[in-house]
Amino acid sequence: MAMTTYRVTLANREDATFEVEGRRPLLESLREQGVDLPYGCKYGGCITCAAKLTEGIVNQRRQVALNKRQINAGYVILCVARPMTDITLEIGVDSHGDLYRNPFLDPPKHHEPKAGIAEQRLDDGP
Amino acid sequence: MESCGPGYASPADAIKAPRETLLYTIAIYTGTGIQKPDYLATVDVDPESPTYSQVIHRLEMPGIGDELHHMGWNACSSCFGDAGMSRKYLLLPGVRSNNIHVVDTATNPRAPRLHKVIEGAEIRAKTNLSGPHTVHCLGSEIIISMLGDAKGEAPGGYLLLNNEFEIVGRWESSMGDIKFGYDFWYQPRHNVMFSSEWAAPNTFMPGFDLEEVGHLKYGRELHIWDFERREPVESFYLGEDGLLPLEVKFHHDPDSTHGFCGAALSSNVIHWWKDDVGNWQWEKVIDVDNEPHPEWPIPVPGVMSAILVSMDDKYLYLNNWLHGDMRQYDISDPHAPVLTGQVWMGGLLGKAPEVNGVKMAGGPQMFQLSLDGRRLYVTTSLFSTWDNQFYPEIRERGGVMVMIDCDPENGGMTLNPDFVVNFGKEPNGPSRCHETRYPGGDCTSDIWL
Ligand code: FES
Repeated sequence: MAMTTYRVTLANREDATFEVEGRRPLLESLREQGVDLPYGCKYGGCITCAAKLTEGIVNQRRQVALNKRQINAGYVILCVARPMTDITLEIGVDSHGDLYRNPFLDPPKHHEPKAGIAEQRLDDGP
Repeated sequence: MESCGPGYASPADAIKAPRETLLYTIAIYTGTGIQKPDYLATVDVDPESPTYSQVIHRLEMPGIGDELHHMGWNACSSCFGDAGMSRKYLLLPGVRSNNIHVVDTATNPRAPRLHKVIEGAEIRAKTNLSGPHTVHCLGSEIIISMLGDAKGEAPGGYLLLNNEFEIVGRWESSMGDIKFGYDFWYQPRHNVMFSSEWAAPNTFMPGFDLEEVGHLKYGRELHIWDFERREPVESFYLGEDGLLPLEVKFHHDPDSTHGFCGAALSSNVIHWWKDDVGNWQWEKVIDVDNEPHPEWPIPVPGVMSAILVSMDDKYLYLNNWLHGDMRQYDISDPHAPVLTGQVWMGGLLGKAPEVNGVKMAGGPQMFQLSLDGRRLYVTTSLFSTWDNQFYPEIRERGGVMVMIDCDPENGGMTLNPDFVVNFGKEPNGPSRCHETRYPGGDCTSDIWL
């Protein structure tokens, strides 16, 4: 049976494209083809390999490093993510601009930074 | 006492040890965008040497992505009576890779070499643990606090290694109701260990989120252990006075029951002791107020990520990583610390944007005090994801190490104008320095039986 392959475009690497297998993690397939990617744990737990998905769909069920906000911002964990369509990615630390939010500069609502954090949450409700 | 094993007979003897001439600090590339391994840097701190205040050797780890963080010795003064032991190996865990690197610093102290790597995958498979943090030796064995299970969920546990650096298994017999792990320190004469709480790796790896503090995903308790039975027996609920209780230090005096913990987000110091009837007590003894930032809507907490007690137990040092100051407190009366010194370096409040000609990115973060209490070496990076979150310019500028001259007789601290190591100028590009240790033992490792 022919294996399913997809095309990966790296938007911040001059739109370089690579053919990868659908059943293998993107970090592995791309590194094999010479793409220099950051990584740490290789099991989806440390966020080091995060990349931004700008087109297409991946399956990253096994990742545990991203929170909901980061997933909504389009981040995917390459060491466990497998492509389900052709995809476009921004890779490396230069794609991490929206990954972190400074909570004091750009706070979520209903917050006090010091005393009152816990009570505020418990008293205010959702 | 005749010197036989490693370290010193007593804290008083340690204070009299020769001045340090070399120090080791880890430097990271993980999370910086530079695809190079993290490394152990040897820094020349001998003022008579032509390479004073420079990195003179770099030991690269075998792969990228470890995020070296804290480290610890294979032996300390707790083995002073054991002639078969020596302080030869420094253990460097990678928080992200879970690999534990054992480095031989004795064969050539200026150029340490890699002795062994305990693979992260083996640790996860054999012990169901990940996220190595604090390393303490324990007779001929070594315990390492591990912040998560193999999937990065809290509370993790404690990894036990033998003196051949083989995995023995889990040290603890039970984690009780402990929710999170982080730092620990033991005081054998009182059969006690204290442990603190950060968060699950799955919570802190993605960066700091204030909302998750409210959702109880960060710690706010301290735990008291029966050290011999290896199980927690009591916990202090610190509440809002103790959000993110990180570093724990006992007095060096092995008879003392006094100890301290820095609660990073509350930016408080918690003091504990055993009272006259034998109960453990705690109180808040230092409270650093949040400071308004000129452009930000929310006042900024100090973020007291580390504390240190001088070898004579007279001074406590703390940092406010986001504010940018290092402080010295006289703790002769541990119930009533007195502020005796303060130095500004970096930080978000703009009080010392440049130090000894180096533009700072980050604030004072980790520090190590000389055994005689006169020189405090301070570095600026906390954790790559948190650095990127609060000090994004650190990617271009890297970390910095400075030295603060401390006056152990009268109190007081001043920035030394002749010493600065700019890790922004490293050969492979800006790296970030973190924890520091001396070959002869230091104020954050040695414990006496
Ligand atoms: S390498 Fe750690 S999450 Fe991918």
